[in-house]
Amino acid sequence: MIEIFLIAIGAGIVGSILGLGGGIIIVPTLTLLFGLPIRTAVAASTVSIIATSTGAAVAYLQDRLTNTRVAMWLEMGTATGALTGALLAGVVNQRFLFVLFGLLLGYSGYNMFRARKSELPTGVVPDRLSQKLNLGGSYYDHLQHRQIDYQVTGTIPGLIIMYFSGAAAGLLGIGAGIFKVSAMDQVMRMPFKASTATSNFMIGVTAASGAVVYFARGDVKPLVAGPVVLGVLLGALVGTRLMIRMRTTTIRKLFIPLIAYTAVEMIYKGVKWW
Amino acid sequence: MVVSESMPQTESKLLSIELILARLLRVGSIIAALLVGAGIAASATGGAALAQRLITAGLLVLLATPIMRVLVAALVFVRQREWHFALFCFVVLCALAAGIILGRGI
Repeated sequence: MIEIFLIAIGAGIVGSILGLGGGIIIVPTLTLLFGLPIRTAVAASTVSIIATSTGAAVAYLQDRLTNTRVAMWLEMGTATGALTGALLAGVVNQRFLFVLFGLLLGYSGYNMFRARKSELPTGVVPDRLSQKLNLGGSYYDHLQHRQIDYQVTGTIPGLIIMYFSGAAAGLLGIGAGIFKVSAMDQVMRMPFKASTATSNFMIGVTAASGAVVYFARGDVKPLVAGPVVLGVLLGALVGTRLMIRMRTTTIRKLFIPLIAYTAVEMIYKGVKWW
Repeated sequence: MVVSESMPQTESKLLSIELILARLLRVGSIIAALLVGAGIAASATGGAALAQRLITAGLLVLLATPIMRVLVAALVFVRQREWHFALFCFVVLCALAAGIILGRGI
């Protein structure tokens, strides 16, 4: 139980900095290291995603890194997407989906790699909907000691991508934070820190819709999920303190290998089962 | 990218919703952490049945927190007469409710 707890702290730190749930660490650890069944691991991981999101969101909301307006707009996409995904699960060929989503991730990882040196997006012109909904934001960067105002573009494409990321979450049982961050960073041209903070804020709701199902099925084992949740909450407290003081380029350097790994893993899973 | 020292005009509005949601999420995560922590302590001292119950209660509080967050955000947007955003929250709540109802059947 102590080992699970310590690994969960690590997952909470990484997850809160990168805007992911940390499931990418929790699921392999619980299945490979502790030999737990995949359903127990995925259920514990889904509940822990809510913990990362909730724990990290407190700090990011107070630091005003989270763009709540963008989050509410995009949550329409993730929530309806997750619903569609849950309904379609079992009907659609999952192997094909794994390969498709893996290729998409690989592509956005490549784009992120090309943009790895950029600290903040430049020359962003907000589209009409973004202006109408007043989606632009502002936050204080503790590293640069200045207020950063930014604009948001690609409002409709962003929503469409969120719908598919929600569907991926529902179909494949993943948090899909990795798609959310990529979409906000590359399509909506938000600053990377605002993207990871906003993704963190949103994944709690995506995960909650999945967690309800796992609870109803009895897959949530309290003695496994309990230590994971407590560890992840502590990790998120540490991670948020670290993130606001980190360079965007450093966070990108952590994010890019993870996106590449996930892309390869998804394509491999899809091909292996073909 | 525009960088300036000045605050945007919508500052006060945004600040209020963010602080309200931060407070809600903090209370939710603290209650959940205390219940789970008490449960783990109970399992260490041998009260297995009590431990299961305490941890499950904590996990359910954690699960309810993001759903409450959408509900409270909707109410704040209604109070601020931000009808578009109140509608967005309502759509999310409907999708969550549909997921819960359908999810139980799976």
